[in-house]
Amino acid sequence: MTALLEVRSVSKYFGGVRANHEVTFSVEQGMVLGLIGPNGAGKTTLFNCITGFYPPTRGEVFFEGKRINGYPPDKVCKLGMARTWQKVRPLAKLTVLENAVVGGLLRTNSVAEAREIAFEQLRVVGLDKRAGVLAGGLPIGERKKLELARVMATKPRMILLDEVMGGLNAHESEEIIKLILDVKQRGLTQVVIEHDMKAIVRTCDRIVVLNSGEKLAEGSPKEIVNDPRVMAAYLGDSGGVKA
Amino acid sequence: MKALVFSAAAVLALALVPLFIQSPYALHIFILVFLAVALGESWNVIGGYAGQYSVGHSAWYGIGAYGAFILLQSKGIAPWKGVWVAVAVAVLIALVVGWITFRLRGPYFVLASIAVAEIIRLVALNWKDLTNGAEGLSVDVPPLKIGSTLITDWNSKTPYFYMGLLMALFCVAVGVAVKRSKLGYYLQAIREDQDAAHSLGIPLTLCKNAALGISAACTALAGSFAAFYFGSFIEPQAVFGIDVSIQMVLTCIIGGIGTVTGPLIGAVVLALLSEALRTSLAQAHLLVYGVLVIVVILTMPDGLVGFAVQRLRRKAAAR
Amino acid sequence: MAVLIQSILGGILIGGIYALVGIGLTLIFGVMRVINFAQGDLVMVGMYVTFFLFQLLGVDPFLSVVVTMPALFLLGAVLQRSVINAVLDALPQNQILLTIGIGLVLSNLAQLAFTSDYRILSTSYSSSSVALGIIRLSTPLIYCFFITAAITVVLYWFLVKTDTGHAVRATAQDREAAQLMGVNVRNMGVLAFGLGSALAGAAGALVAPTYYIYPQVGGAFTLKAFVVVVLGGMGSIIGATLGGVLIGVAESVSAVYFGSGWKDICVYVIFLLVLLLKPSGLLGKSRM
Repeated sequence: MTALLEVRSVSKYFGGVRANHEVTFSVEQGMVLGLIGPNGAGKTTLFNCITGFYPPTRGEVFFEGKRINGYPPDKVCKLGMARTWQKVRPLAKLTVLENAVVGGLLRTNSVAEAREIAFEQLRVVGLDKRAGVLAGGLPIGERKKLELARVMATKPRMILLDEVMGGLNAHESEEIIKLILDVKQRGLTQVVIEHDMKAIVRTCDRIVVLNSGEKLAEGSPKEIVNDPRVMAAYLGDSGGVKA
Repeated sequence: MKALVFSAAAVLALALVPLFIQSPYALHIFILVFLAVALGESWNVIGGYAGQYSVGHSAWYGIGAYGAFILLQSKGIAPWKGVWVAVAVAVLIALVVGWITFRLRGPYFVLASIAVAEIIRLVALNWKDLTNGAEGLSVDVPPLKIGSTLITDWNSKTPYFYMGLLMALFCVAVGVAVKRSKLGYYLQAIREDQDAAHSLGIPLTLCKNAALGISAACTALAGSFAAFYFGSFIEPQAVFGIDVSIQMVLTCIIGGIGTVTGPLIGAVVLALLSEALRTSLAQAHLLVYGVLVIVVILTMPDGLVGFAVQRLRRKAAAR
Repeated sequence: MAVLIQSILGGILIGGIYALVGIGLTLIFGVMRVINFAQGDLVMVGMYVTFFLFQLLGVDPFLSVVVTMPALFLLGAVLQRSVINAVLDALPQNQILLTIGIGLVLSNLAQLAFTSDYRILSTSYSSSSVALGIIRLSTPLIYCFFITAAITVVLYWFLVKTDTGHAVRATAQDREAAQLMGVNVRNMGVLAFGLGSALAGAAGALVAPTYYIYPQVGGAFTLKAFVVVVLGGMGSIIGATLGGVLIGVAESVSAVYFGSGWKDICVYVIFLLVLLLKPSGLLGKSRM
C-alpha cells in the first residue's frame, strides 16, 4: 500500500542552521502520526517544507505518489493536504462563519454551497452558535476550533495539526482530542505536532520523534514512551527516569 | 432587503434631481460627489478588500483620460466608444504592474505603486508625440446621437449628471458584487492574513491581479469621465499627479475601507467639505484631506462607517 | 569624457543632499519602523525658514543651518509626541497614510501662508562656479557637500561615541531589549524624529540657494529620499550615504545622456529594480 504522504530524507538548512536533517518517514492512509520533540527540534519547519512554504534544501516529499517539492502552499492545499498553525491565524475582521466559508470555497465556486459546508464543519467543532461573531474576538480555545473547522471545510484528504492543543486547558484539550478521534473515524489522515504526551498516546497510531532537526526515533506510542533516548532528548541528559 | 429598497428609493430620488434643481453649481456638486464615489469604490476593491494600499491609482485614472482623448483627437472615435479601449489599455498595464509589484508586502508595495505612477506620469510628460507633453490635450466632445436624433450636445450639466450617476451606481454595484463573490472572500482573507490565506488554497497573485484589474478598469472609466467633464483639457500633472491617488485613498480611509458604504460616505463628506472650503482654501483644499486622515487614523482607523458600526454593536450588546 | 566626469562630480555633490534627507528618513525608520512620508515636506519647511531668514535678516543660507536645524528638530519632536507616537503599533500602511497626511498639512499650510509663488534665494555666489581644469562645479553645491559631510560626520560620531547615541542604536536594533536595559524608548523616538527632521531642515537650508522654493517642492525630495533609503538599505546610515551619492550620480549622468526629462524616470526605474531584486538594499537588514 503506497503511503499517502512520504517524506524522504528531507533536509532544510537556513544558512548555517540545520533546521531539518535527512528526516524520513511515511504516513499511511487513515493513520494518525504524532510528531514530537523538544522545542526547536524542527517540527514546524518540517511542516512548512511539506506544505510548500519553503522548499526542502534536500530530499523529497511525495503526496499520493506525486512529488510535490516546490509546490506553492495553495497548490498543496488543493491536492488535499491542509495545515493549521502553531500560532493561530484567524481572519480577524471576518466572522466565524466567513472564516470557515473561505475554507469551503476551495472546492466550490458557489458562496451559498461553501456556506453549507462551512456551517457543517462549525457544527462538528461546536462553533455553530458563534457563527456571527468576529473571529478576532474569540478566546484561544475557540480560535483553535475555528482553525480546525476552517481547514476541514477545504475537504482535505490529510490534515497537519501544529500544536493544536497549545495553550488550552484540560477541558478544551479533551474536546480537541475527541475531534481528532472523530476526524480519524471519518477516514482522514492526520499528522499531529503536540507536546501533550497523554493526548499523543491516546490519538496516535505511530510516533516520530525529532531532535535537533534529525529523526531520533519512530515507533508505536508504547515503544516511544519507553524509549530512554526520547526521555533524554526532552530532559537534556542521558540516564533519565522511566516514563 | 431593507437596504435594497432604501437604495432604490435613493437612486430614484437622485434621478429626479435635475428636474427640480436647475442651478449649474448645485448639479456640479452632485457630479463631484458621483465622481468621488466612483473613484472610492474602485480603489476599495484593491485597497479595502485586498488590503493592498496602492497610492498610485492616478496611473489608471490618467490612462483612462489620455486614452479616450487621444482616440478622439487622432481617430475621431467618440468618447463613449473610445473609453472602453482606454479601459482595456489600463487593465493590461495594470496586470503587468501587478505581476511585478505584488510580490512586495505592506509599505514596500505602497512605495512601488507610487513609483509606477510617477514613471507613467513622467512618460506622459516626455512622450510629446503621443501626449503633447506639458502643454496638454484639448478636445471637443461630439454631440451624442442615436440614429439621427440628438440626445445631447453636452452643453449643460444635466447629461453629465446622469452619466456621473450611472457611473457611480456602476462602481457601487461592482463593489457589492465583488464583496459577495468568491473573489471577495478570498481577497479579504488575503488582507487579513496572507500566509493563512495561501495555506487555504487561495492563489495569491491571481486574486490580487483580478482585484487590480477590476479596480483599474473602474478607475480608468472615472478618469475618462472626469477628463471630459472638467473642461475637456488634460495635462500630465492634473491626471497622473499623486494628488489624485491620495484623494482616492483618503476617501476610503476616512469613510471606512473594506465596506461598500465606507467610500460612499467618505466621498460625500470629502467632496462636500472641500467644496465648502474652496473659497477660503483655494489651492490648499487638500488641507482638509490631510487633517481628516490624521484625525481618522488616530481616533477611528476603521473610518466613519467602521466607527458607527462599532458604536451600534456596543449598543446592541449592552441591551 | 570631460562631460561625463563633470556630471559624475556634480552628481556626487547633489547626492550629498539626497543622502542627508535619506539619512533622516532611515534614522526614523530604524528607530521607530515608521516610514515618514512627510520627510520632503520637512525639507520644504527648512527651505522657507532659510528663505525668510535671508530676506528679512540677511542671514546667509549656509550659516542659517544653525537656526534651521534646531527649529526643525523642535517641529519634529512636537510631531512625534503629538501624532506619530500614537500609531507606533498601527498597521504600517496606516502609518504611511498618517505621515502622508502630515505632509499634506505642511505643504497646504505653506500654500495658504506663502501662496504658490516660486521664491528664489539669490546670494552673491548663487550662480558662480569653481573651475577644475575644464570641469566647472557649482559653488553653492560645493559648500553644500562639505557642510553635509560635516553634519554626517558629527551625526556618526554622536551615534557611535556617545551614550545617547548608543541608546538610539540599541532601540533601533531591538526595542524591547533596549527597554529592558533601561533605555527610555519613547524619548528615543522623539529624539529620532527630531534628528530626522533636523537633517531635513539642514538639507532645506543647503539647497535653498539652488532650488526654486514653493510649497509643493517637498514631494520630489520625499520620493528621492525613499529611493536612496531603499537602495542603501532601510535603517542603515552608511547605506543612505552611499545610496544618496549613487542616486545623485545616476540622475546627473542620465540627464546628460537621456535628457533632463528622462532622468527622473531612470531614478524610479532603479527604485523598482531594487525593490524587486534586493529589497533589503545594499547594506540593509532584510526586513520586508
